[in-house]
Amino acid sequence: MKLYAYCLIEDVETFDASSRGISGDAVRLLQVDEFAVLVSDFDSDTVAVTRENALDHAAVVRSVLDRTTPLPFRFGTLVTEQQLRSYISARKPALQTRFALIRGCVEMSVKIIRELSTVSGTTGSHSKITNGTTFLEEKRREIRGSEQSAAEAQEISTWLHEQVKALTRDEEVTVRSSEKLVVAAAHLVERDKIPQYKETAADARKKRPELHFLLSGPWPPYSFANIELEFKSQFGVS
Amino acid sequence: MELSPENPLSAEPEIETSHPEEFVEQLRCVTDSLPSRINIDAEGVEQGLAKLVLTLIEFIRRLLEKQAVRRMEGGDLSPEQIEELGLALMKLEAKLQELKTQFGLTDEDLNLDLGPIGRLI
Repeated sequence: MKLYAYCLIEDVETFDASSRGISGDAVRLLQVDEFAVLVSDFDSDTVAVTRENALDHAAVVRSVLDRTTPLPFRFGTLVTEQQLRSYISARKPALQTRFALIRGCVEMSVKIIRELSTVSGTTGSHSKITNGTTFLEEKRREIRGSEQSAAEAQEISTWLHEQVKALTRDEEVTVRSSEKLVVAAAHLVERDKIPQYKETAADARKKRPELHFLLSGPWPPYSFANIELEFKSQFGVS
Repeated sequence: MELSPENPLSAEPEIETSHPEEFVEQLRCVTDSLPSRINIDAEGVEQGLAKLVLTLIEFIRRLLEKQAVRRMEGGDLSPEQIEELGLALMKLEAKLQELKTQFGLTDEDLNLDLGPIGRLI
């Protein structure tokens, strides 16, 4: 029998026994050293990647967010109890450091779309061009456009960082200069700063009407957990 | 902020945007680009291998194009050499387009997502 692991938590000693997780299985609290792990017993060796299972996983992780800040495991993490205990014992200092970072915080998300007209650089075919020199001239124009687009994307990312840096403990930012969804930022925000963060983000939106924003949260700090890769490399969990 | 039963986080997650359709469309694109699991069937393997090989060729092709443009801008190529280089790269692009069509792949299929460091191309 394997365990499906949802998240690591601290300072929580009880959990609602009626809670259900993936496939409707009961979720329980497994104490391991100074931490606890939300787990459910799991018969199979694989977890179906379905919308329902993903939402079940998220709901379990979310269910403790009002009491503590969890370190979520990657969706689909199946282990034996011995592996779980061994992993936590071996990684205790790293997990303590990670908890120190996220403690008392939640994740807030900002996604930014650029207007289509400002996205430059194309990758279209050049079927109408028959001249080698013209082809290279066109490539030069495309490369310049891509460079300009990358510079604009970086400017947006830097601008966003400047707007909220006083209210964030950490951030994970992805910049994709060739796409409309140009910036996806996850901000680690202390809970008592959430109202101020939202206000600041709303003000920032007004300053850049040419950009389209999607603000969301508070979420469990998925972007700051970073424990799944170690797990994968150690146990081959996928 | 210390959490306690008397002081829980009560805020439910909220999503705020003035352009929901646009974000749904973009996020669907991201979802579609997530790596899918490998299906061990003959057709799937063939297409998977073709995708990997063509991605590498596309990456190298773009590097060659950039290098060619730099050399052109640097002035160390004669007009004849520029024309010849341009024609060679143009044929390479056309050939790759032909192979993509043959294997049912799009430009987006060859743009691997490398996670935190972004897209390959």
